[in-house]
Amino acid sequence: MPINREYLVKRLLLLIFVVIGVLFMTFIITRVIPARPELLWAGPHATIEQIKKAREQLNLDKPPHIQFILYLQDFFLGNWGVSWRTRSPILTDVLSSLTATLELIIVAFAIAFILGVPFGVVAAVKKYTWIDDLARIITVIGASIPVFWLALIAQLVFGTWLGILPSAKRVDEWVVIVTGFKQITGFYLIDSLIQGNFMVFIDSLKHIILPAVVLASYPFCLSARMTRAVMMEVLTEPHVRSLVAWGLPQRTIFFKYSLRNTLAPVIASIGLSFGYTIVGAFMVELVFVWPGIGFYAAMSLLSFDYPAVIGCVVIVAIFYCIINTVVDVIHSVIDPRVKL
Amino acid sequence: MRRFREQRIVLSLIVKKPLSFASLIIVLTFIIIGVSSPLIVPYPEDAWGLTYNVEKRFLPPDIEHPFGTDALGRDVFSRVLLGSSFSLIIAIGVIGLALIIGIPVGVLAGYYGGRTGTVLMRITDMFLAFPPLLLAIVLAATLGRGLLNLIIALAISWWPWYARLVYVQTNTVKNMPYVDAAKIAGLSNLKIVSKHIIPNALTPTFVQAALDMGSAILEAAGLSFIGVGVKPPTPEWGLLVSEGWQSINYAWWIAFFPGLAILITVVGFNLLADAIRESADPRIRRTILRKVINF
Repeated sequence: MPINREYLVKRLLLLIFVVIGVLFMTFIITRVIPARPELLWAGPHATIEQIKKAREQLNLDKPPHIQFILYLQDFFLGNWGVSWRTRSPILTDVLSSLTATLELIIVAFAIAFILGVPFGVVAAVKKYTWIDDLARIITVIGASIPVFWLALIAQLVFGTWLGILPSAKRVDEWVVIVTGFKQITGFYLIDSLIQGNFMVFIDSLKHIILPAVVLASYPFCLSARMTRAVMMEVLTEPHVRSLVAWGLPQRTIFFKYSLRNTLAPVIASIGLSFGYTIVGAFMVELVFVWPGIGFYAAMSLLSFDYPAVIGCVVIVAIFYCIINTVVDVIHSVIDPRVKL
Repeated sequence: MRRFREQRIVLSLIVKKPLSFASLIIVLTFIIIGVSSPLIVPYPEDAWGLTYNVEKRFLPPDIEHPFGTDALGRDVFSRVLLGSSFSLIIAIGVIGLALIIGIPVGVLAGYYGGRTGTVLMRITDMFLAFPPLLLAIVLAATLGRGLLNLIIALAISWWPWYARLVYVQTNTVKNMPYVDAAKIAGLSNLKIVSKHIIPNALTPTFVQAALDMGSAILEAAGLSFIGVGVKPPTPEWGLLVSEGWQSINYAWWIAFFPGLAILITVVGFNLLADAIRESADPRIRRTILRKVINF
């Protein structure tokens, strides 16, 4: 499938502007809105010396436009400050925890997509029957459930009461030590397969099930509902009617001819739910002690480690913009009619 | 007259479908409890979090305490009941504030268009570049904990959606023949906006806003859970869940019931939103009408 090069270039240029816009917004929120930003940056138990130092680091004595330029400079050079909770540079902390979150989110989205699309197709095909009603109740509940509460309940039921699934961390420490497992990419599921280490693979698979399923609840419902809505439109289109007239079996019509036309908007909407899901990951990771960026951000929030929180927010926001761009480009490849 | 009839059809369709009717009941119950809970809670002092009963800690649910008691011996039922008031205040506050910012921006950008419109909508887009909850988190972390700060933080992350919705509606309405007629008749811009644009452009926005209250409750609870929402001992549902978290392995009821309250309320709002959307869409309405009334 050809990529529209003009569209791609335009979209990438727009991405640069959006990222600068995001940085501008965080600058306004963190440096301009608070009455004394240095107090927030120095932390709750800071000494006067530390506050003075924070004031210098933030360039608060300089005029605002210079402050913004210096802020951008610091950002691109990687001077994001030091977290006083972990006592290491924030950029290092954030980057080292990014892969754990990505692994969790990718698995969650895979679950959501693989289960959600057939669910939506069935609901659309059986529209206005009890099956459709049941599907609707399930999807509405899934979209309305507080994800942190679902995480707690899942942990309680499957981890504590039934004891069939581990409910904290990515992998058991002793398995790592016994098998001599090493990190390569940071994705444990991939690393363990590369090394042929099936014990770690099985163990990390067990660990990822609960958090991933909990995190998948929202994108699952979204993909199911989106598939149903788009599918219902597609099924009324003339080309489907002619397929019916030709006497093709229903399954072929639904899954081969109608589903393809349905997928583009579904993928787009799932991609856009990424922003919601990654903030959901803040809470899910906190509950499941999953050492990703969400856990890091939530712990920083709980201990008022302001610079670390802002670091997470910026990286997640930029990531979100990039994902949106990628989704739009994919969308334009699937559906060439899409324009900027 | 026609609009009145349309609203009645939508309402009758909602009442006739059991699922939609149930959602209407949930929402109404939530509002009634939310308004009256400060007066009807069985243990008012427990509800406001002012008491500490050592001998009543971690009592499982029974008749006296239907949802059990928490780590400080307070009645969970009372706290959950009073929590509905806070959720109602948060929902109304967030949506109201978001509308107050969003409507003028949308109407101005849509009606005047041109450079003003472009600038206003670019600013709106900048807010939308953030994942919605993330913006609320960073704002709440900056402003500090508290009910008012929570509402402000959520409203600021929320208004761009309404600005966009109003912008699109205004753009459609301003090209209607009756607006041209009003211009030819010599009405001032202010009159046209207030008499013609706003009444016609805002109905969908208000419906959307009313139904967004469920999401507002959900997101506020999330913020409280990760520690940037209201301050303890406020009986906000998200905070109640996080308070019950530490003792969940031996006293599940403390975290369970507030979460269930969030779930039921938000499900009510979302189902109702679904029902209204479906019955307001003429294509779908025809199908449903046929099914409900059997013609």
